[in-house]
Order: sequence, then structure tokens, then C-alpha cells
Amino acid sequence: MSFDPIPYDLFDALKHFLTVFGSTMLIAVVVCLLVGVLTRGAKGIGDVFFGILDFFNQIIHISPRRIWSLSTLTIRESLRQKILFVFIIFAVLFMFAGWFLSGAADRPDLQIQSYIDFVLKAISWLVIPIILLLSCWSLPEDIRLRTIHTVVTKPVYRIEIVIGRMLGFTLLGSAILLVMGTVGYIWINRQVPESVRPNLVSKVPIYGEIKFTDREGAPSAGLNVGDIWMHRSYIEGATKARAIFTFKGIDESDAINDELNLQSSFEAFRTHKGNMEKGGILYQFIFVNKDKGLRVDTAPLINKEYLENRLKINRKIMHESEDGKEKVEVDIFDDLVDDNGNLTIEVQCLEAGQLLGMARSDLYIRTPDHAFLSGYSKAVFGIWLPMVLVIMLGVTISCFVKGPVAILTTMTIVLVGFMSKEYMAEILSGKMQAAGAIEAWYRLITHMNSQTPLPDGPVKFMIGIVDLGIINFLWLCQQIIPNFGIFSNMREYVIKGFDVSWDAALLPGIVTTAAYILPCLIVSFYSLKLRELEAK
Amino acid sequence: MDNESVIQISNLTKIYRDFWGRKKVRALNSLSLEVKKGEIFGLLGPNGSGKTTTLKLLLGLLFPSEGEIKVLGQPASNVEKNEHIGYLPEESYLYRFLNAEETLDFYGRLFKMSAEERRKRSAELIEKVGLGHAKKRQLKEYSKGMTRRIGLAQALINNPDLVLLDEPTSGLDPLGTDDMKRMILELKAQGKTVLMCSHLLADVQDVCDRIAILYGGELKVMGRVEDLLKEQDETQIQTSRLSDEAIKEIEQVVAKHNGKVGTIDHPTATLESLFLKTVQESKERPGQRFVPDTQEKKAAE
Repeated sequence: MSFDPIPYDLFDALKHFLTVFGSTMLIAVVVCLLVGVLTRGAKGIGDVFFGILDFFNQIIHISPRRIWSLSTLTIRESLRQKILFVFIIFAVLFMFAGWFLSGAADRPDLQIQSYIDFVLKAISWLVIPIILLLSCWSLPEDIRLRTIHTVVTKPVYRIEIVIGRMLGFTLLGSAILLVMGTVGYIWINRQVPESVRPNLVSKVPIYGEIKFTDREGAPSAGLNVGDIWMHRSYIEGATKARAIFTFKGIDESDAINDELNLQSSFEAFRTHKGNMEKGGILYQFIFVNKDKGLRVDTAPLINKEYLENRLKINRKIMHESEDGKEKVEVDIFDDLVDDNGNLTIEVQCLEAGQLLGMARSDLYIRTPDHAFLSGYSKAVFGIWLPMVLVIMLGVTISCFVKGPVAILTTMTIVLVGFMSKEYMAEILSGKMQAAGAIEAWYRLITHMNSQTPLPDGPVKFMIGIVDLGIINFLWLCQQIIPNFGIFSNMREYVIKGFDVSWDAALLPGIVTTAAYILPCLIVSFYSLKLRELEAK
Repeated sequence: MDNESVIQISNLTKIYRDFWGRKKVRALNSLSLEVKKGEIFGLLGPNGSGKTTTLKLLLGLLFPSEGEIKVLGQPASNVEKNEHIGYLPEESYLYRFLNAEETLDFYGRLFKMSAEERRKRSAELIEKVGLGHAKKRQLKEYSKGMTRRIGLAQALINNPDLVLLDEPTSGLDPLGTDDMKRMILELKAQGKTVLMCSHLLADVQDVCDRIAILYGGELKVMGRVEDLLKEQDETQIQTSRLSDEAIKEIEQVVAKHNGKVGTIDHPTATLESLFLKTVQESKERPGQRFVPDTQEKKAAE
């Protein structure tokens, strides 16, 4: 993941929601129509629409009492299936984890990271698979053992069975997560050595927008020093090249003890060895307020690579007047923040022949730290969201296939959603050459490279037709499969010691999860409604 | 008896199909019948005759291939009708990890019953089905007979107007069977309608007002039990024990009226009544051996 918390406002969230919701709903309705037509012919089309109307009718008439009863049954069932054994595995992991994670040679900050990483991974790797198994297994088992007969012959809507299951597993998973999260928090606090305990905080960064100018001072995209890491662009030393960061909404509440804290992690690209004894390349910050025509430089700074460079600048800076005759005092928050609340900081590399690379996340204003618990609890919430999504998918899929198939299907969706969404998007973008599966296979066996056009003829035509089908299927999968990758953002932020705002870190996950609620309910309702629970 | 129809089935056909939609079995073929309010109706037939299929179609667990079903005046697929229905499945499909109280409380919550109502009704039903001693035990520890009893209790939790019983006496010992039959008759006395299917004919004969016999998914016979079983051409007289002379005289009288005596015998009790009597005596006089009421016993007296 690129550690770059992009602001994600409510409009983006709404767009994201409508895209995911709209496409999954559309696909859900089309699949229901197909199933209806295949099983009941033309009558099936009418059945689907009446079925969807019936869904909303049932949704209006659902009884919270019955749903609660079905949820508690689900919880009780899981508890009697010895689900709580998961805590034994959890306890064993924690008993011995300290042995493997502690290392005197490690840097203390890295050691804290490894503890947090371990705890969050242990929790998510235990909770999510267990909840996946339970949610996929429960309903098919109920159908197999026919215990569902005594429920559906009571005045219970089928949608209530689905919601009851989903709610039950969500409550159970939440309780497990809460216990594990609390134990994990206590464990981290006990494991971290006293000497580095002050580092166990949640840094609250304010990120800005970044722009570049070239060596002549004209706007540019920055230099690319080769495809090492496209994430960063570079500025040339001792020229007019600058990286210009603009931080919005800055005021004195962002100061710590009357100091502005700037934290940076720039990367150097050397065209010559230079003076290695200094420990890094020289650079400088320049505060700019165009409204007041002020440009205030800091003293030259040394960029220590692979470390976080923290610069504390007193809000009162002595600055030479325009005529250079006297020193005047400027206040960062009163004089350098412009009328719109923006603080502009230019970064200049001071060494000729050297380049300094940066991205928007490489410089941030560090505001007063929050307690570690603040970021940690967001990270636990970041595990809760995919857990809920897995429950919804598991219960939905288990409404129309048997337990083992539901487990395999849900697991595949989670793994593909976690690892292959970007790859699928790349194939679907059409930018990849010879991306069709059959075409690639044909080229492989005929030793034909991807640049050579396929010879015209029936073979090319057939390959095109089959690949089109495959690509369309891939598109369908791309729409249906949730992007599980976005859920790991918060965990990564917390591991790095940040407390990123909820809208940047969690809102994409919240939106994705919310967008699947209604399509999952419709599909599961329709599957249970069409399904003869006693079919032989 | 009220003539109001509680169940109306007309031309009901059920065809089971495989995954590809090909016909597998025609389980029911144009079945039409009606069950009136307040009667005990028995569906009889050998295994595979379509009894359980009929019951499941009535409950909406299966969908009809053709025909129409009305239960309490509503289509079978209507969930609201279940408010007034109690169902005891063939095997008591209950959650084995719950105990009797929890089971009844869970099912009670699915109806519009308050906590107090549920508690009261559960306690009453648990006593009624004779599980007071085992109400805290998980159902997985229950014997088959106990499971049938709690199954019946869950079917009655909502005080239903219509009770559907699938093989209610299967797996029960004679005592349990007797209790079950007694409870079914009590339901009738309370004005409930009962539809039961069974292949234990004696049980059906004891409790049902009307029966229908299915074979191969088709209705073969339907009517009142006493009408169907009455031998119209014969007369049976049961008296106290008679001497041989008296029997001869009776034969002469019968011959005088152009009649013919078929069999003359001492009637035997059923094994069921002997069993029930033995258990009853054993309860009243523990430790003593029960001597059946036979001719030898009378001779000894």
C-alpha cells in the first residue's frame, strides 16, 4: 500500500457508494431474472418483480423481536459449538509472541511497530476466518438438519432469518473483537519498554497538497529519476526547483508548546557522492504568504534518510526585513498563514547536483498527539468492517449453496478482493497488451510475442469471441467482489503510529460495507424464497 | 361440528425435479380434500404415498407443481397464517443445544407472546407433556420419546387453531403413545382442528374422525372412520361369559331367524391394554409382581 491518506469527502463517499451499490444491485437483479427465467420460464420474470416487491413488503413488516430472537439463537448456537476456543489460540499466541518479537538490536520505534502489527494481524487472522466459517456453515446446516422447518412454519419472514443470522454473527464477532482488542491493547502497553513508552502515541498529521516547479521556477510535475518508485517526484538542488506544500485550515491549535512541528521523510537521489560526513543532503523550508508578500526561510537542514526528521519551529521567527536592514519577528500562525487559513511551505534542495524526492505524505504538520488508544480503536474498527462484510457475503452465499461450497466461494471472494482487484482493474482498463486469456495461451503455445498482431482468420475471430466472454465475466466479478484492500489502510496507519482522520482512513471501508447491505439482503431473500427448504 | 373448512386442497400435484429440471418423482397427483373445523383428520398411506409431502405443501415448505391450497382461508405461502398453526415434524427437528425451557421460550418469541405469557405457557406445556423432570437438560440428551414430547409442546406453544402432526406416535412407547392420543383428543375437545398423518393404523383409528388413504400420491379412500370400518352385513353381540348350553340355544335362535353364527370365542384384550395395565399396577404397587387377569387367575381365586 502507498502510505498516502488521500482526503475522502462525503461527495466522493456518495459516488463510491452509488457505484458499488448500483452495480451490485443491477447484477443481483439480472442474476435473479436469469434464475427466474431458467427455472420458471416467462412466469419467472413476473415472479422476480413480485419477489422484489415482496422483499420490500417484508422489510416493512419485519419484527425486531423475532430478529432478536433469531440473533440470540445464532449466538447461542455458535457458543455451544465451542467458538470461544478461539480465545485459547489467541492466548497461546500472546504467551509466546513476546519471545519472538523482542529483539534488543531493534530500534525501539520499529519494535513498537512490530508489536502493533502482530496484535492487529493476530486479531484479524483469527476473527475473520472463524466468522467466515460460522456464517457460511450455519444456515446450510440448519437446512440440512431441517431445524429450519420448525422456524419457517412459525410466522417468520425469510428475510428475518437472514437478518437474524447476520446480526447474530455481527454481535458475536463484535464481542470477540472487543475482548481481543482490549487484551491486545493491554499486551502492547505491557510489552513496550518504559524508555520508549512516550513513543506509544497516535500522531495526528495534517497533510497538504503538493506541487512542483522546475529548475526555472515554472510549474512542473517534478523530476522522475527512473521507475524506482513512481510515488515520489524529485527536485534538483541549488536551482529554482521547489516542492510546494499547501496545508489547509491551519491555526494555532495545531501548535505543540507554541511550536510548529514539521515531520518529513524525503528521499535523496545522488548524482555524485558529495560530502557523506554530513549524514545527508542539505535542504531548507521556506514559508510563503503571498497575501502579505512574506517569504521566511529556515536554516539549512540535513535530510536523514530512512528516518523521520522532526523539526520543531518556534511560532515566533526572526526574519530579515525586506530591505535587509533589520530583523523583524513574524508569527507563523498570525503572519505566515494566509487569510484562507492555508500555510504554504516550499522545500528547496540546497546541494548542486543532488536531487531530493518527495510525495505529499512525506511532509506533514504534526499536531498535538492523541492517546495511542485513539488510533488503535480505529484500527480495531477497521477489522470490524471487513468482518461485517464477510458475514453478509457468507450468509448470502449460504442461502443458495451448501456449507462447504459457501465457504470456498466466500473465501475466494475475500482473497480475490484482497489481492487481485487492482490486477483485474488493470486488465479491464484495456491497457495491457494481449490480456485475453485464450489469446495469451495461444501466443504461448505458438511462441508469439505480445507485440505481433494475430494473423487474421477464423482463429483470431474465435479467440476474440471467447476472450470477450471471459473479459465480460471478469468485469462482472470486478463489480461483485468488494475491494478488501481498502480495509487494511487503518491498520497500516496505526502500525506507523498515526491517528488519521476517520474520513480518510475508514470512510471508504464504511461506504463499501454499507453498499453491500441491500444487495446481499435481496439476493439472500430471493434465494430463500425460491428455495424449497424440503426439496428432495 | 362446525362445517367451516380449515384446509382446502384442490387438484394438488407435486412433481419433484432434479437440478436440471427433469421430472424425478410424481409425489402427489391431483389430490383434492377438505378438512373441517374441529375434526381430527388422518392421512394414511404406506411409505412414499405422499402424506408428508401433503403436509409440507400445506406449510409452504414445498411449492405445488399444480393445484391450489388454502389453509385457514389463506394461500399456503402466506406467512401470517402460521400465527394460528402448530406443526410437529416427523422427526422433531429442534435445536439440540437448547433445553426444554429455552426451546419453548425461543419458539414463543417468534409469536406475539409477552415474556410472562411465554413463561407461563412453557411451564404449562412442559408439565403437560411430562418433561418437568428434564426441563433443564439439553435436547441432545433426550430419548426419542422425550424429543417427540417437546416437539409436541413447541407445536402447541402458540395455542394454535390448526395442529399438523406428522407421525405423532412414531418412536413413542405405548405409554407415550397413549399420552399423545389423549392429548390429541384434548385438542379436539378444545375445538382445535388436527390433521395427522401416520402409518400406525391403530392409533389413527383410535383418535381420527375422518381419514383419507393415499397410495402412489393419489387419494384412494376418504370418509368417516366408523362408516368406513362398519361391516354392514354382520351383527356383533358382546355378553358376559356364557355356558355351552346357552351358546347352543343362541345358535338355535339365530338359525330360526335365518342367521348364521360365525365365530364364538372369548375376546382377548390388546397387548397395548395389557402393557398399560401392567405399568399402572406397577406404579401403584411397587415391588409386587403383576398377575394378569387371566382364566387361570380366576380359577385360582
